[in-house]
Amino acid sequence: MVTKDDGDRDIIVDMEAGLEHLSRGTGKHLSRFVATIEPYYRSMEVARRVAALAAELGIGDVIAVSNKVRDDGDRKAIADFCAAHSLKLAGEIPFDSALLEAERAGKTPIDFDPNSPAVRAIERLADTLSASAT
Amino acid sequence: MRVAIAGKGGTGKTTISGTLARVLARRGRHVLAVDADTTPNLAVTLGIPQIQAQEMMDLPRNMMERQQQEDGTTKTVFTANSDEIISNYSAPGPDGVRLLVMGKVNHGGAG
Repeated sequence: MVTKDDGDRDIIVDMEAGLEHLSRGTGKHLSRFVATIEPYYRSMEVARRVAALAAELGIGDVIAVSNKVRDDGDRKAIADFCAAHSLKLAGEIPFDSALLEAERAGKTPIDFDPNSPAVRAIERLADTLSASAT
Repeated sequence: MRVAIAGKGGTGKTTISGTLARVLARRGRHVLAVDADTTPNLAVTLGIPQIQAQEMMDLPRNMMERQQQEDGTTKTVFTANSDEIISNYSAPGPDGVRLLVMGKVNHGGAG
């Protein structure tokens, strides 16, 4: 997606669950892909395929962000997978029950508790993305 | 930044997209959140009421055109400038975030 004057604007695209959009070229003009990755095989495999497809589309800048990480076992599973497939792990979002509570309360995570561990982790992700924006 | 969040269903794409958009907006950035899912639900995570989200207009296809590139590939570009698109087709959300829904539009690049 390209528009004439995106310079001072941040664009965040929530992609489709499958890889359909990617293969149709939707993401072609985004400068960076963030692949969400959970500590179980099918999720990690999809993240790997996202990275491979993005590379085919000429988007070299793909980073992985782990989510719902509960413990060192989860952390290691993801780190090992990323290392084995040359995926750059750029952030970690912990499992956070506040997100479930927010949903039950009908609120967004940031409105429910801006200091919850997951929201704080997404703030750090924003720092990382802003620091190296392309 | 222009960032796409991708990954397996259920891994938190929408939660991360929506919260990231709100975080950046609270820092004073102009943020456009784009829902490219065919079953759009980013609105709720941004804090835009469902009823308001349902009234949003999808982006019409004639707003976009394919352009031939020098290397022979094509790309899909908006024919209007982004301010025009945003003011006509996006919904306002908390902290000044704008939401654009593309999910039901049959768009794509070459292929």
